[in-house]
Order: sequence, then structure tokens, then C-alpha cells
Amino acid sequence: MTADEYLNDVLASQALGDDSDEVKALQKHRAEVEKLIRDTFKDTALIIRYAGSRAKGTMNKESYDLDIISYVSSGDNTAGETLEDIYDNHKQALAKKYYVEPKGSALRLKGCDPDNLGVDFHIDVVPGRFTDETNTDAYLYQSGSDKKRLKTNLDVHLDHVRDSGLIDAIRLAKLWKVRNGLPIRTFVLELAVIKLLEDKKKKSLSAQMEHFWTELRDNSASLTVEDPANPNGNDLSKCLDDNLKSQLAAAAKRTLEQIDSSGWEAVFGKTEKQEKAARVEILRRAASVATPSRPWLPEA
Amino acid sequence: MTWQRNDPALYEKEKAEVEAHFPDLHFVIENDLVYVRGSFAVMFEGKVLDRYSVELQLARNHPAGLPVVRETGGRIPRHIDRHILAADGTACVMLPDERWKLWPVGSPLMKYLTGALHSFFLAQTMVEEGQDWPFGQWAHGARGIFQFYRELLKTSDLRVMTAYLDYLAAKKVKGHWPCPCRNGKKLRDCHFDQITELREKISRKDAERSLAALKAAGTSAIDMNEAKPAAAISKS
Repeated sequence: MTADEYLNDVLASQALGDDSDEVKALQKHRAEVEKLIRDTFKDTALIIRYAGSRAKGTMNKESYDLDIISYVSSGDNTAGETLEDIYDNHKQALAKKYYVEPKGSALRLKGCDPDNLGVDFHIDVVPGRFTDETNTDAYLYQSGSDKKRLKTNLDVHLDHVRDSGLIDAIRLAKLWKVRNGLPIRTFVLELAVIKLLEDKKKKSLSAQMEHFWTELRDNSASLTVEDPANPNGNDLSKCLDDNLKSQLAAAAKRTLEQIDSSGWEAVFGKTEKQEKAARVEILRRAASVATPSRPWLPEA
Repeated sequence: MTWQRNDPALYEKEKAEVEAHFPDLHFVIENDLVYVRGSFAVMFEGKVLDRYSVELQLARNHPAGLPVVRETGGRIPRHIDRHILAADGTACVMLPDERWKLWPVGSPLMKYLTGALHSFFLAQTMVEEGQDWPFGQWAHGARGIFQFYRELLKTSDLRVMTAYLDYLAAKKVKGHWPCPCRNGKKLRDCHFDQITELREKISRKDAERSLAALKAAGTSAIDMNEAKPAAAISKS
């Protein structure tokens, strides 16, 4: 098996199809969340959409969140006068059914019933307000930040990732982040992958990943990323500080050494396909020395 | 009187052997029947490959009778293709006529557990993994009986097969009787030794049951693909 075949198997084992139990559970939650919000803000023309990895096509089974935006139209005050009001009112609406944890611009939903108390549903609701009638740019409230208002554009973010031609590399980088416990925001990691692999799109997936890690190892100190929806207004430098850069460089160095000494499996482990093949091989060996006994059923 | 009261020493011996080898299986007596219940480990080279929740109801005449086996965890679908009876969840581990190969009468229960039963659950795990039955499987009902005797007697002639089963089910056989291979010779001059040997291996009860099943099914027991070639009976 080549490195690229292996990496494609890793990605396949991490895929979440529309008919998977995980996605069905998320869709059920999304329907509940949307109903909860719409029932609360009956007079508000809300735009509620998927955002994040679900919309970008970068979901991995091992670690996934569902981001849902809930934006009000520009000039519409029915869900709250200020951005903070909209954020707080959404929080109150969602608190009818969930334990809600503020997380930057998002509201993270957790279970509050006795049978699911504290269970993280991996759902973030992001309230906001469009900046004008075009319903493109939006303002978000940022809790816990000096700068309370953040301008953003969901479609620009989605297009930036979806049109990057680097979805597979992004998914592997996300898996690498999770496996190495790296505290980098997923959005920032996606931007870093796109920037570092901008001129490597025609390379093989394994070559892309090796280049990505080599750049992180050797040049992370000078790495910067910018928000494509708001390059001047959204300063992401705090999300990629020197401490994080050092951690990324160290993890990238370790990963490249693992590939060099033990191959790609040392990075992402055996794939489901490989594990299944190994299990079947052991079962066959067990069968080869077992008593050959054929089952029967008395009634046809 | 059930076997455990009839032969308490055998009960203690079976219990001690099984519980020492399978620490998650336990003997329980209920309504004068002996059950072996717990988690059955499918092992290979000292490692547990899989586990099944099981209940074995030992026959009242154990070890002469076969145990009734049930997978109690609900993991194996109750479907004939998995050799589990839908009605009561009974697992059909083996064809009783084949018992002499797998768990000869008089053998300890351990031999059954580590042999046929282990293979049954190992096969279930392999099928669950999308593999074929590793040791094959008998067709259901009379067709499976036909397959077994076709392999054993090396004939697919149903008349020869039932003639053999007649002799296996009979209380006695006499040398002057016609040989079941239908070559016109007397039994003593033809397949007497083979019949004698098979009568030691296959119980009269099992032979009677198989004979009745084959007679009831008639030619429908014969899968035409299975039926050829009809090899001549050798004197073995």
C-alpha cells in the first residue's frame, strides 16, 4: 500500500456519510435547535444555516462539531437591540432545553436533563446580525474579548475552504491536531493549510502533508494567517501566538521523524480497513487449528 | 433421575474442569436441570478474540445427550442462515449424526466446549466480519442430512442411503441380510465391517431420526448440484 493509498483509507475511515448515525443525530439536534430558536423569535426573519465543517465538507468522525448560524436581518431589533442582546436572547432561548456554555461568538450546547446532564452535543450556535440588506457580511458578538464586535462572512469562509482544492489535506491536518492535542483553532489551522499549500495543490496528498509539516517545523515563527472575510478587522495573531507556533513546530518535527523511522502508520495508526484485515487474519489462523465443525439446522 | 443426581462425582468433575478453563462460565441447577451460563470466550493463542453470552442446558441424560445451546446476548440474529432457531434462539451447533467425530459419547463436556462449540462461535464471528463459514455448513433439514451421508457413504443414491440408515437404526443386523449397497451380495460378504463400525459411531436414535427425515423429504432432500457424481460405494 502506498502512502497516498494509506492516507485515503484514513480519510475514508473518518468520513461521516449523510446516513451515518452521527450525522442523523446531529440533524435531529439541528431540527430541535432551529425549532427552539424560531419558536422563541416568532417575529424575527432568521436565517439559520449550517456552518463549520459540516458545510465545508471537512468533517472527521473522530472529532466533529456542528456549527449553526442564526442571523437576523440588518435593522431588525425583534431578537434584541444590540449584538449582545441577540447573543443573550439566543442563550436564554436555548437554555430552555440545553445547558448553554458561552464560547467566544458561539453558544455551545450541552445536556441538562438528568439522563444527559453535561453531555457535550458538539453543537455551536452562532447568533449574529447581517450588516446590510445583501445578507452577506454579518456582525457577531464576542463574549470574553476586548473587542466585542466581529465582522465576518460565512459564505466567504465556506468558499475559501471549499474552493481551496485542499479538503483532504485539511481533514488530515485536523485529525493530526486532534491526535496530538494541539490547541489551535480549527479555522486557523484550515487557513494555515491553505496558505502553506497554496502552490502545492497538484502534489500528491502525502507530499502535501510532508510539505505542510516541514513548513511548520522550519518556518512556523514567521507564519501568519488572515481572515479572508475580514483581513484587516479580525486580528488572528492572538490565535497563532509564539507559544502555539512552538508547539506546532515540535509536533511537526515529531511527525516527520515518525514517518521517517516507522512510516505513515506511526502518524495516524492502522485504518479500520487494516484493523479489520488484521482481525480477519487472526480469525483465519484460529480457524485453521480449530475443530472443523459444520453447523446445521433441523428444520428447512 | 437426572445425571447429576445419578453421578454426583461426574457433575463435580465436569463443573471443576469447565470452571477452571472458562472462569466466566458457571454451573447452575434449576428444576433439576444443569445449566452452564455466562460469557463464552473465543480464544486463540491465549488471547480472547471474542465473547458470547451463552446458556447451555445439559441433557437429562448427559453426557449421552447433546446440550441445548442458546446465545443469550441477542448478538447473533435469530435466523436460519446463522443456524439459530427463530422460535427459541436455540443454536444448532452440529448435526447429531456427526457427533462421534466432534464429541464422542463419554467425552468430557470440556471437549465439546473447546471443540464444536468454540468452532461454532468462532465461525459466527467470522460470518459477522463478512467471511464465509470457515468450516462450511450443512444445508438445513433433510438436505443437510443427505449431504452428510453423501460424504460419509460416498454415494448420492437416496435408496442406498436409506438402506444404510435402516441398518443403523435396527436393533440388530444379521450377516445374511442383503447388503445396503444393493450389489446383490449378503451383508457378511460385503459391507458388514463398515456397518458394524458405523453402528458404533452413530446412535440408533440419530439414525432413526435421519431416516425419517430423508423418507419424509423424499427426493426433495437431494440437491441436484450436490447429487453428482454418484460414486460407487467402496468397501471401507
